[in-house]
Amino acid sequence: MLFSTSAENGVTVLRIEGELDAVSVTDIRAALNTIAEGKPPRVVVDLSALRLIDSSGVGAIVSLFKAVRAYGGSLATTGVHGQPLAIFRLLRLDRVLIT
Amino acid sequence: MKGCIIVRLEVPGVIQYRDIMLRTLSATCKLITPSARGRSSRASLFSAHLVSAVGEAYNNIALHGYAGCEPGSIKMEIEKGSDWIRVVLEDTGASFDPAQARPPDLDALPESGLGVFIMQSFVDEVTYVPGPPNILTLFKRLDEPREASPNSRRRGPAKSG
Repeated sequence: MLFSTSAENGVTVLRIEGELDAVSVTDIRAALNTIAEGKPPRVVVDLSALRLIDSSGVGAIVSLFKAVRAYGGSLATTGVHGQPLAIFRLLRLDRVLIT
Repeated sequence: MKGCIIVRLEVPGVIQYRDIMLRTLSATCKLITPSARGRSSRASLFSAHLVSAVGEAYNNIALHGYAGCEPGSIKMEIEKGSDWIRVVLEDTGASFDPAQARPPDLDALPESGLGVFIMQSFVDEVTYVPGPPNILTLFKRLDEPREASPNSRRRGPAKSG
C-alpha cells in the first residue's frame, strides 16, 4: 500500500494505492491523524488506484470521515471502483462518502 | 454438490500471510469465468465478493482466533464446480461462530465489527463447525446478477465428501 497527501486551495487530497487492509492499515493511521489535526476544510480521498479494501481499511476511512466532520469539514472519496466499490455499496458508504 | 478440490494451502496463522491466501483464491476465481467471453463484470464481482469474504474470515482467525497465543496454521481448501466455488478454512484457534455475531448498525457508520457482516453478505452459504479444529465453509455461486444481500443465509449444506 502506498499513499500520499497534497494540499492546495484548502483541499487536502489523500491518495491511497494498492491494498488497504489489516496488514497495511497501521502504516496509514499516523497520516490520517495528521490530516485531521490540520483541520482542512475539505478532504478528498482518491481511491482510483486502490485495488482492495477490507473492514480494517474501511474503519480507517470512516474514522477520518468522522474526525473531519466533527470540526465542520467535509470528506469525500473519488475513483472508487472494483472490490472497494462493492464494499462501499454493501456498507452503504457510497451514500455518504462518494460524491 | 461435488466439485474438484484444486487447491490446498496451509500458512502460518498470522496476518502477514493473508495476501498469499487471497491471491491464490483470486486466481482460482478466474477458472470459473467464461474465458471465451473474457472477464465480465459479473465475474469480477464474483471474485471481489469471494475474496472479500475469505479475507474477513482470515482476519478473524489471525487477529482474534489466535490472539494471545502461539498461532497455529490456517488451512485453506478450494473446491471448484462449473459455476461455483467452495472455500474451507480450518484453524485451531479460539472458536467463534459467525452466526452469533450481531449485525452492525450501518447508519451509525461503525468503524469496527464489520468483518463477519461482509463475509456473510458476500457469499451464498456459510457453515461453521467449532473445533478444534474450527472449520468454516464459504460457498458462492456465479449466478444471475443480484445485489449482495446483507446477512445472507448463514447455514448451508455440509461439504460433500
